Amino acid sequence: MGKISLSHGSGGIETSKLLERFIFSRVPDRLKKVEGGLGIDYPDDAAAIPTLDGYIVVTTDSYTVNPPFFPETNIGGLAASGTINDVLMLGGKPLAVLDSIVVEEGFPEEDLRRIIDTMLSILGSHGIAVIGGDFKVMPRNTLDNVIINMVGIGYAKKLIIDKNLEPGDKVIITGPVGEHGAVILALQQGFKVEGGELRSDARPLIGIMDKLLEEYIGDIHAARDPTRGGVAMALNDWASTTNTVIVVDEAKIPIKDVVRSYAEMLGIDPLSLACEGVALLGVRREAAEDILELIRSLGHEEAEIIGEVRQSPEYGGTVLLKSVVGGFRILEPPRGELVPRIC
Amino acid sequence: MLRAIRIIVTGIVQGVGFRPSIYRIAVKSGVRGYVRNLGGSEVEIYIEGEKSAIDKFMSFLKTDLPPVALIHNIDISDAEPLGYDDFEILPSMRKSVKRSIVPPDFSVCDDCMKEVYDPRSRWYRYPFNSCAYCGPRYSIMQDIPYDRDKTSMVDFPLCRECSEDYGDPDNIRRFHAQGISCPVCGPRVWLVDNAGKIIDCEDPIREASKLIDEGYILSVKGIGGFHIAALASSDEVVLKLRKRKDRPEKPFAIMAKDLQTLKKLVYLNEEAERILRSPQHPILLLNKREDCPASKYIAPGLAHLGVFLPYTPLHHLLLDGVKDKYAIMTSGNPRGEPMCIKNTEALKKLGNIVDYHLLHNRRIVNRVDDSVLRFTYDSITMLRRGRGYAPYWILLRKELVREVISFGAMLQNAGGVGFENKAVLTQYIGDCDDFRTLLDLKIYMRRIVKLYRVDETRALVAVDMHPGYPTKRLAREWCEKNGVPLVEIQHHWAHVASVMAEHGIHDEIVGIAIDGAGYGIDGNIWGGEILRASPYQFKRVGHIENIPMPGGDLATTYPVRILIGILSKFMREDEVVALIDKYKLMERAGRSSGELPIIMRQLRSSPPLTSSLGRVLDAASCLLGCAYVRTYEGEPAMKLEAAARPGRQYLHAKIVERDGRSVIRISNMFEDMLELLKDGVDRSVLAYNVQWALGNALAEVALKHADGVVAVSGGAAVNTIIVKAIKLRCRKEGVEVICNRSVPPGDGGVALGQIYIAGLKEDLWR
Repeated sequence: MGKISLSHGSGGIETSKLLERFIFSRVPDRLKKVEGGLGIDYPDDAAAIPTLDGYIVVTTDSYTVNPPFFPETNIGGLAASGTINDVLMLGGKPLAVLDSIVVEEGFPEEDLRRIIDTMLSILGSHGIAVIGGDFKVMPRNTLDNVIINMVGIGYAKKLIIDKNLEPGDKVIITGPVGEHGAVILALQQGFKVEGGELRSDARPLIGIMDKLLEEYIGDIHAARDPTRGGVAMALNDWASTTNTVIVVDEAKIPIKDVVRSYAEMLGIDPLSLACEGVALLGVRREAAEDILELIRSLGHEEAEIIGEVRQSPEYGGTVLLKSVVGGFRILEPPRGELVPRIC
Repeated sequence: MLRAIRIIVTGIVQGVGFRPSIYRIAVKSGVRGYVRNLGGSEVEIYIEGEKSAIDKFMSFLKTDLPPVALIHNIDISDAEPLGYDDFEILPSMRKSVKRSIVPPDFSVCDDCMKEVYDPRSRWYRYPFNSCAYCGPRYSIMQDIPYDRDKTSMVDFPLCRECSEDYGDPDNIRRFHAQGISCPVCGPRVWLVDNAGKIIDCEDPIREASKLIDEGYILSVKGIGGFHIAALASSDEVVLKLRKRKDRPEKPFAIMAKDLQTLKKLVYLNEEAERILRSPQHPILLLNKREDCPASKYIAPGLAHLGVFLPYTPLHHLLLDGVKDKYAIMTSGNPRGEPMCIKNTEALKKLGNIVDYHLLHNRRIVNRVDDSVLRFTYDSITMLRRGRGYAPYWILLRKELVREVISFGAMLQNAGGVGFENKAVLTQYIGDCDDFRTLLDLKIYMRRIVKLYRVDETRALVAVDMHPGYPTKRLAREWCEKNGVPLVEIQHHWAHVASVMAEHGIHDEIVGIAIDGAGYGIDGNIWGGEILRASPYQFKRVGHIENIPMPGGDLATTYPVRILIGILSKFMREDEVVALIDKYKLMERAGRSSGELPIIMRQLRSSPPLTSSLGRVLDAASCLLGCAYVRTYEGEPAMKLEAAARPGRQYLHAKIVERDGRSVIRISNMFEDMLELLKDGVDRSVLAYNVQWALGNALAEVALKHADGVVAVSGGAAVNTIIVKAIKLRCRKEGVEVICNRSVPPGDGGVALGQIYIAGLKEDLWR
């Protein structure tokens, strides 16, 4: 066996392969979930446990980001928003979180306070309780600054289960893609982004999802916040779990110019960059226009219908991108490493 | 005494007027019996008669065959006389005894054109005239054997007169010819505008020529697909076409009425004329004349012009009406997609590009693109293998141990099948990163599997080992469906094996595989490789120095990035930045110098590495001012070749030994090149220098390991300067250099190498 490389944690194919090998294939099917709920047999960021009249939704995520501070927010805001969004995407109303913070010895106390402040203020403003957690310090150089693990707990009357996505459904994106991924990459490449246009989009999607769940719960067949691996990963997950073809029109996908030009300079597809404040929705065709209008009326003017789900026994599991320069190409799930292929 | 023999003929014997010829020589020699197509597309002849009659028949069989027939094998066995009264052509058999070649499309013959120009002929100005010896074949075939009811000519039942011709043994060119027709019963042409409205006119072809003269752009349905036709002599029209087709630089092909006209455009020689006039009528790249009257925007920055002659009566008539007697005839496809083959498709997809469409109602069953050939030093190489060549088979000197279905690589791709001692490649399919092209690959793979009766439940599937090629998806899917194993074959090994397959070699030899990119077994991108290889194994004995590719594929699109990668090996960061700024290389590529820090950062964070010769040529092309952006495959390298002028040889590539392999140093050569530029050495001489030095170094490494023969392949093996340097260096040591002949050395020939390797593999590996 080889060694763990960074690409194993990229959220792409390498991650899925590793998890399949180490975890999924070794947990007996009956233990992959609580009966009647959702568990690791279901590829999503969250799990559900059935109750008498609904579901407890539980999510967990470890937030590691270098650097911990970036334009608009920081790792604390990212953890709070990401956790809230994970609960929302399953159709849950977020109720409470538990947080585990691990800090590197020598980390400035002031920085930690700012991180926790941001985290608490987001949770607080949405009325979400902090009901537990853990705090540890690791010796210098054994950890890169700080890691936050957060468990989110929510309650759903009805779950949004992505495998309910069906041919005919339209795919909506609620805002421009790739912003968070782009800003982090730019910072890692040593760019000054303070005061620039590039900023993380990390924010909770409660505003949109509350309304949508209220008015259109039956029309939303799938919902996903395209974080790691970006829109490319999320769409590929959908296509493969439902064995459909998802056709996306590149020209329709909102991308900020600044994100586009960074991605172009880096040789990276913006569709594989993480979004932290955008939802990808698979909705019933007939309701698509109304839902789009509602989302836009909530202040997300850049929301768009970017594609649709099609039936194809032969090409099921494929995401096709109608390219701006012409033709269709297969949008592959992102890989951790760049393998040049044009000659 | 009455004798009888049974003869089975294989080769190109169907669709070439073979059975009617046999009928005539049988009658002439006084034998009785029959001839018929066997389902697998070979021909069975049974004759009986006196010994002298049979001998006569056998000697006619050697001399009186149709001009386009090609016989690979004749099996003769004695039979019992059955007492036939006469000789007849029997209906085709369904059962396949042996396989035979599916006939490719043939250009219109002189006899048919005579009729087209004869006002007294029934075929006067008839755009679809064809006979037993010419006309479309593969492009209209649905299945074998080649009988009218298995082609799209089934839509056009023969009229009374054509029926008579068909049944008349004395009508040499039409007796039993499957594709014949006339203005009464055959397909027809019409002209529409880009809204699909029919243009009312007496002669749509004359009208179309007139529109071309007026500067309009037309789509023209041909044999294997649509062309886009336009006036080649007008800058304005050519620029308009470039804009509409979103094709800034890639050259357009020119079709000219005749050799006389071509002589005004390009330099012709006897060999070139022979190729242009062959039954295949390919596009041939020839040196542009300095006083060439065609627009300079046809092939910007290139020394060559792709030219061809009309290969159907329709094309002849169209060019007759154009004042210049030549016109642009480029593939009728929207950017990135396959060429259109259906009328509806052309209306929908070419509507934004053309003003009018010249349509006809004969269905194109198989898309077949024009073939493209060029001269590389002292031999002819195939750049694109389509019409006229596919799906000919390639004879291997060794029997394969199993059948193989091979999906090739990705760009400029063709797939193929292998069986017995033969390999058949599909026609040129195109760039399979486009989904529709990928689907086409699947369609045509299924078709050749069917046409050549390959057992898909048993045949091994082969594909390139690159993890990101979409063809691999197709190959996997095929394997899962049929429960057969998949073998992944290293790109450059397949290139070398394709030469071995063509030359019947299966012992280990040294191969030079040079191209833009192929996945290496060490995870790096290879492309300047010297391998010791047999169909059974290979060892990498040498390669071009690894160069970083900041931004991955971006470094291919913008050669300045690869140049920065090379320069950074021997210069400090600030020196590199100063140099790039000095020559304004970022700006010339349409990028800002603000991108430089990103590129530098990418260089520091373990970028992909490549030993690609193509990338080195790109970098040189950028440094010497030949090309700054790659808008089509091979552009920077082609422009470097075009700019090169021989002169004093200043440059040499050093060879160093590292980890048991010879490494060709690139950085030193670029260091020298910078000095020479500073000294004011002519750039075109340096362009020649760098290509020559690379060829020479590749040959030197190969010679260290070679015994007697060196194979050269890969997309860069079409470069005259490099190939010349390799050949001269090797020949000096008495070492023979062999190259691809009937398949492209580029990725269009990879499938042949894959078939050879997978088909000879004794033990299956996964």
